[in-house]
Amino acid sequence: MIKVENVKKDFKKVVKDQGVKGSIKSLFNRKYEIVHAVDDISFNVDKGEILGFIGANGAGKSTTIKMLTGILTPTEGNVEINGKIPTKNRKEYVKEIGVVFGQRTQLWWDLPLVETFSVLKEIYNVDDDAFKKRMCFLNEVLELDAFIKSPVRTLSLGQRMRADLAASMIHSPKVLFLDEPTIGLDVAVKNNIRQAITQINEQEDTTIILTTHDLNDIETLCQRIVMIDKGKLIYDGTLANMKGQFGNFREVNMSLENSDEIDKLNFLDTFKLKKKDISINKTKEKVSISFNQDKLSIADMLEYLLKNTNIKDISVNDVNIEEIVCRMYGKEVSVND
Amino acid sequence: MRFFRIYKIFVAQKIKMLMEYRVDFLTGATSFLITQLTNLVFIGIIFGQIPHLNGFLFQEIIFIYGFSLMSKGLDHLLTDNFWKLAYFVVRKGDFDKYLTRPIDPLVHVIIENIEFDALGEFVTGIVLFIISSRKLKLHFGPLDILLLIIAVIFGAMIFTAIKILGASIAFWIQRSGSILQIFYGTSDFARYPTTIYNAFVKNLITYVIPFAFTSYYPAVYFLRGENPLFNIGGVVVAAVILLLISICVWNRGLSAYESAGS
Repeated sequence: MIKVENVKKDFKKVVKDQGVKGSIKSLFNRKYEIVHAVDDISFNVDKGEILGFIGANGAGKSTTIKMLTGILTPTEGNVEINGKIPTKNRKEYVKEIGVVFGQRTQLWWDLPLVETFSVLKEIYNVDDDAFKKRMCFLNEVLELDAFIKSPVRTLSLGQRMRADLAASMIHSPKVLFLDEPTIGLDVAVKNNIRQAITQINEQEDTTIILTTHDLNDIETLCQRIVMIDKGKLIYDGTLANMKGQFGNFREVNMSLENSDEIDKLNFLDTFKLKKKDISINKTKEKVSISFNQDKLSIADMLEYLLKNTNIKDISVNDVNIEEIVCRMYGKEVSVND
Repeated sequence: MRFFRIYKIFVAQKIKMLMEYRVDFLTGATSFLITQLTNLVFIGIIFGQIPHLNGFLFQEIIFIYGFSLMSKGLDHLLTDNFWKLAYFVVRKGDFDKYLTRPIDPLVHVIIENIEFDALGEFVTGIVLFIISSRKLKLHFGPLDILLLIIAVIFGAMIFTAIKILGASIAFWIQRSGSILQIFYGTSDFARYPTTIYNAFVKNLITYVIPFAFTSYYPAVYFLRGENPLFNIGGVVVAAVILLLISICVWNRGLSAYESAGS
């Protein structure tokens, strides 16, 4: 359904020295450097699949999404979706896709939300019956009724995101692109949005590509993930597989009476761990330990810590995606060494 | 036709929006009227001292001035969105939305906004045109009225084309508002007879940025009846050529568009 072949996108960037002086200098004497935002990426997506697109900030996720939606023209390579090339068959192509950029809105800012839907209805040429049915469905899934008559500028971020999601689906698109759809939302709204996404995917067999920094998004939504770093594709497969490949890591964050206490402990010998299974990060106020929970259970870890240190505060967290990316990238480098 | 249906809806949305912010709208429309009036007072004061300018009477200058306001006002009414594009829509990456909708992006940008503030300009132009034609005892037959409408519409298209060109530059350099301002600003030269300028300015506003065709040349045809082929035909030719060039540049700009990080 979606074919991405050897896609590259370069940007020309002005290199500036710092400060006002640097800016003025660069006004007369410009230096450019070419940035490879996306560097030779290929992957396919099947119909009805939910694909999670992950990577650190600036890794090239948004740039890739923007090439898939026809906003950016690839410097090299091919993008083909349903047999159409986004930038060439734009008018036909965009009828089949819906796009949400979490950081922007396509809603009519000054008018009641319901007006946005009636304008989009005309833009996408949706007939009256289909529109009514569609609004019913979206209402049910996203609970828009409570605020559909309020001006968009007065909506909360959570309401706005639900509204934006609805706006992107008014024309029943076959493919949905969601760029950070849960950014800045509280847990309840995040769950609500995730449920909606799942429901839409199941009921309409919509293909969904989403980017996120939230591991929970990935865990609840995506059958498959594609990870990119510095413009290159570094992983394509299931989340479980990735965890198996790169370790199922957890992170313990704690503050101790004295951070130096941690130096007395010997995790490697006590638990027979290898160096890559654990890493300790110590500052004056805080100690964080990330470890592979397949090798060392959380219970054992906590027991050991409680016995041997004076803990003031402790929490156990999922390792976030940036961490995994770092780890994967680190591993790649060490393999090359 | 679908185009007009969508346009109607966009205009309806705009009107609803204006109703939300009435004070702002009324202030905008009034300020345009005041700007036009002060311009007129200024011309009035100058002609109080000098009875004519290079062979043109006071009323003839008013006639040309009124003509320039009609084509400028018509374009301003319909295509004001290009200013926003040049100053911030492209730079902030908000242009993304035009590229993900099933309407041609250029058409979308134009129909999304109708600038009612421009009515101040347009109506002032018509009023001045009518008053000065009366005072000059000009007669307009059916053919003249047809030519007049053609000249105003194609004159407005010259403004539109310049704005498309200026706004397109933003696709490469992110922000082109000041460049557009300079291009657009040269239209002020066209409010007066080109004969008062030196050869450089005259050629500039005739052949390079052909704003002289938005007012002086067509106006002088209606005043003196001279050379319709150049004075009226020139408007059409200049508008068509310029529009073709600007659409070409615009389309190239679309593939150079860089969006903005998110």
